[in-house]
Amino acid sequence: MESFFDRYRNLLVLLALLLAQIIGLAVQVRRTGEGRSTLDRGDGPGVRLIRLWAEGLVSPPERLIHSVKLGSEHLWENYLDLHNVRQQNQDLQKTIDRLRLEQAALLEDARQGQRLQALVNFQEKYIYKTVAAQAIGSSGSEQARVFYIDKGSADGLDRDMAVITADGIVGKIRDVFPNGAQVLAINDQSSGAGVILETTRIRGILRGNANGQPQIVDILADKRIQKGEVVLTAGGDQIFPRGLPVGVVDKVIQDPERDSFIDVLITPAAHLDRLDEVLVITSTQPRFNQQQQQDVATSEALKGAEAAQMKEQQKASQIMAERLPGLIDPNLPADQQPLHDSSNPNPVAHPPQALHPDRFTPGADPNSGSDASPSAAPEAAAPAEPDLAVKPQAEKSSSGGQTKPATKPQTKPALSNHPQKAKPQPVQPQKNSPGRTP
Amino acid sequence: MPLLGADLRRDLEIRRYPLLVYGLVPLAALVLQAWLPRLLGRFAWFDLPLVVTVYFALCRRSPIQGTLMGAAMGLFEDALTQHAIGVNGIAKTIAGFLAASVGVRIDVENQAIRLVLIFLLSLMSSGLVVFVSRFLLGLDYEWRWYTALFAALGNSLIALVLFPMLDRLQSRD
Repeated sequence: MESFFDRYRNLLVLLALLLAQIIGLAVQVRRTGEGRSTLDRGDGPGVRLIRLWAEGLVSPPERLIHSVKLGSEHLWENYLDLHNVRQQNQDLQKTIDRLRLEQAALLEDARQGQRLQALVNFQEKYIYKTVAAQAIGSSGSEQARVFYIDKGSADGLDRDMAVITADGIVGKIRDVFPNGAQVLAINDQSSGAGVILETTRIRGILRGNANGQPQIVDILADKRIQKGEVVLTAGGDQIFPRGLPVGVVDKVIQDPERDSFIDVLITPAAHLDRLDEVLVITSTQPRFNQQQQQDVATSEALKGAEAAQMKEQQKASQIMAERLPGLIDPNLPADQQPLHDSSNPNPVAHPPQALHPDRFTPGADPNSGSDASPSAAPEAAAPAEPDLAVKPQAEKSSSGGQTKPATKPQTKPALSNHPQKAKPQPVQPQKNSPGRTP
Repeated sequence: MPLLGADLRRDLEIRRYPLLVYGLVPLAALVLQAWLPRLLGRFAWFDLPLVVTVYFALCRRSPIQGTLMGAAMGLFEDALTQHAIGVNGIAKTIAGFLAASVGVRIDVENQAIRLVLIFLLSLMSSGLVVFVSRFLLGLDYEWRWYTALFAALGNSLIALVLFPMLDRLQSRD
């Protein structure tokens, strides 16, 4: 056996290393519900440790190189290359004056917009706080569009924070280290950002292609999309605030996998290949002043009280509805009335069986009673005297065949006083009258 | 391409370097690989860790050392990306092993042979990365063949300059 290991030592070492790495890869990849393979979004402890080591090993020299580069540029720009500075200053002063005027006009529009947003309780997120950082290194791989910045968790950075420049969005923080962070650029194949086309208002998802160019995917073919249209962030991804510039449409191509879909290639607004200083958005909050925020809070409190009051009223109505009997639908037969529903909390109280049925007994023929003499028949056919207390009850009984509950307080006194009066004048509609017991 | 006995070549022509070179040169390769693309943008068609791996594997003529160095360089490269750790590791492990195995059997002092070797190993490394990503792991991994070709050419050009410089660092004892 010893000779075997000696003889194939090189090959065994190779196989052992390959096997270990394949097992390590298998741990990092998982299957989605759609049967596709994907990487775990969060690194495991072992993987994160390796990344931490790599970042710790590579970042210090990169910082050194970057500092030397910045220092030399600073030296050149501020002390050596100073020709035309006076002319530039004059031009800049003119630009500042013009921008001040524009700013004053825009400020008024912005205030008006904020007031309107406060009125409709529009929860727009504005950039509230940013941290400036320097891009110090990249992944070094053509297929991984990530870069490293010199600020990390010690500076308040966290995962999924948006990274932008003055020109437009750049990416989001993928991983954070104590003194550095890894940023996933928008032109990486695994990135994703919600965007909207400014003119056509078509929404889509932005991600990179194999050439490192961002493109909008998953949108239906639309001939309105033209080259040069501005693309903005849509704000739905919970990472980038709404309305930040992304780029302009460069080209529209057919989706190679789906016929009715297109890919919109974008020329990014930020110079993704030449990034030096970036801004990390560490906080997005409504940018209202204190008075406006108080107004919004007061409005919300009032609306809350009103809603509570309405809820109380609804609850009281519900209780009343439960206590009251169910309605009678005159269009339904008797066995399909709501009161026949066993789930009804107030079932119908049927009248007790009469001990001595007479013509007033429910179901009895008024003409076949014991004291219904033939001479009484014409009288019965004659119109009865109006009986205000009984008539409504009789009408209901004759029409629906159903009764009002005996518990109904209005009917009982009238019925209890009625027999003396109604006896000599049999009223036909009363034959089905409920609760009418001798 | 002159062929020699493996044991004879190994005994005669194993190169040795100061310990610092083994530490600093790979580190410099990793740092520059991470930093230069920021200057060159999309034209960063090279793979310095692979060039350094192949160089040391060829000069040391030890498959185990070549394998270990390739694995370490590849894993560190992977750790700097957002991809799975091990894709470049596997590719450079095999590249280091093959470079050292070839270095035992053929005369690699010739600069042309070195360039051809680095060109072929670069293509093979790119192919292995694609193979592992797309077929072994089943990931959505788009790539362009001409990028791999340009990277192989870039590695050859860098090797043309870098190998003689590194040759000067070897110990003379």
